[in-house]
Amino acid sequence: MGNNDNLRRIIVATVISFVFFFAYDYFVLAPQTTNKELNNSKPVANTSKKIEAKKSIDVKTVTKIEAKNYEMKIDSLGRISSFILKQNKFNENGKHLELIPQKLPKPLEIRFKNENLNKKAFLTDVRVDKNYIKLDNKPQTLTITQDLGEVIVKKIVTFYPNGRYDLKIELSKSEIYFISPGYRPAVAIDQLTIHGALIKKSDGTLEIIEDGDAEPETIKSAIITAGFDRYYTTLLFSKKPFNAVVVPDNEKNPTLFIKSDENLNLTGYIGPKYVDTLKSIDPELVDVVQYGIGTFFARNLFFVLDWLYKISGNWGVAIILLVILVRLVLFPLTFKGMVSMYKLKELAPKMKEIQERYKKDPQKLQMHMMKLYKEHGANPLGGCLPLLLQIPIFYGIYKLLLYSIELKGAEFLWIKDLSEMDPYFILPVLMGITMYIHQKLTPTNFQDPMQEKIFKFLPVIFTIMMATFPAGLVLYWTTNNILSILQQWIINKLMESKKALMKAKK
Amino acid sequence: MTLKKLAIKFITLYKYISPVFGSKCRYYPTCSTYALWEFENDNFFKAFIKVLLRILRCNQLFKGGIDYPVIKKNINAVYGVKKRVNYWLVPITDNKFIVIKAENG
Repeated sequence: MGNNDNLRRIIVATVISFVFFFAYDYFVLAPQTTNKELNNSKPVANTSKKIEAKKSIDVKTVTKIEAKNYEMKIDSLGRISSFILKQNKFNENGKHLELIPQKLPKPLEIRFKNENLNKKAFLTDVRVDKNYIKLDNKPQTLTITQDLGEVIVKKIVTFYPNGRYDLKIELSKSEIYFISPGYRPAVAIDQLTIHGALIKKSDGTLEIIEDGDAEPETIKSAIITAGFDRYYTTLLFSKKPFNAVVVPDNEKNPTLFIKSDENLNLTGYIGPKYVDTLKSIDPELVDVVQYGIGTFFARNLFFVLDWLYKISGNWGVAIILLVILVRLVLFPLTFKGMVSMYKLKELAPKMKEIQERYKKDPQKLQMHMMKLYKEHGANPLGGCLPLLLQIPIFYGIYKLLLYSIELKGAEFLWIKDLSEMDPYFILPVLMGITMYIHQKLTPTNFQDPMQEKIFKFLPVIFTIMMATFPAGLVLYWTTNNILSILQQWIINKLMESKKALMKAKK
Repeated sequence: MTLKKLAIKFITLYKYISPVFGSKCRYYPTCSTYALWEFENDNFFKAFIKVLLRILRCNQLFKGGIDYPVIKKNINAVYGVKKRVNYWLVPITDNKFIVIKAENG
């Protein structure tokens, strides 16, 4: 059974790894952009008749707001029509990123339930009290007034340098209206990461509506409405619960509105999903950063990694420190293992005897070895738990590298971006080499020559597999290998010195 | 039933690729084999908890060694039927059995 069985195993393992490798290639390296959306300037055909935007003819920019990190434009209908990030980090193909897509609704857009009023709202130009705002360190306020005859709408917006804005809506007469945080940014859209809408309720529960899955619905006692893509968000937030309305567009992507008939006080934010920035506006907003499946774990891992980053000042170093931290936590276990290594040497003659006796039956050999280990309280094997513990950490780092804007463009030595693959393949090769060395140092006992061959080939297979993974992930694994080598080397040295001691005694 | 089958499928798949990690388990049978035997002979939730405890035990703070799954079962004798033996159930006390996979089961 031995050879054939193992041959089958290695074929299956290789096939699985390659399938994974190609799937990754397809989904991540060829992200699907939704640029075709951009030409869509038709009026929105909402399934919900309540909220309808009418095509406005001549929309001009009425106010320009310039801050250190962004440039914002308000159009003649009193909406945010453009939000451009000015930092070098947000530069793609020589152009600064625009977070407001052509699709409707735009942030600050107000629609009315009353159809006539709604028509008017999309035909009447607004008045503003400032045409240009230069934001330095202090927030500044802009008043946007729209006179619709029977009702006068006033939006008093205070802009902050970090992308936050406080919004006060005043109506001269009670009317049912809807205000939107805007269509989700369409900058980082791909098939591997989630994008769409997020609603947080006052009891802390989250409702995440992914693009393509939206159904018309009203969610009561909501406190956050946010549209988000992989890295960016546009949101409205209030400590006082409100009614959130989800309206699917023609692609069944969710668009969000807050429904009200009275004056409202809201806080908004447009920009990258920086955990620190969101936290500084309100701790509740941290939930806007989603990491897909395993968000809870990934978020806590982020806090640890972020703490290490703030100590070290570099994300690559932070990842290395994380490996060391995990090792330290597991150290009591490792230490126990090292002690039992000592005893193991004394068992060598007995081991040999067993190995001779059960040469042809690996099952029985394994069984008798375990029995021997237990009798003498010496077991050289690390166990399944430490191995399995590494899996969630590894998965968590993968998620962070996928979703965290903080880690995007993180430089480390020759690597320009830890969230992308290593362009020179230095790290994957280094990982393969360290894996090989670790194997060489670890005492193994194979019953089967075929299994031994497979084992020796593993570093090559892993190098190929890891070549297209984010460099940060390969960095984690490589560092882990190096520490394993160090640990094994120390164990081997200790064993040698003990051996020498025993010889001297004789 | 479906949960059980899913678990068994998953473990079987894992056992195919587990040589990648090298031999690490401190027990005989290994954690994955233990899990397979458990899921095939016990109800899903009991098996799940036992497997979880076994994996938690599988570290340097515990001695390791031989540790077969033990299950509770009421056995009704069947006479005169030729059946293939998949598992040997070795009785310890009333209704309690050690589970050992039959050689060619």
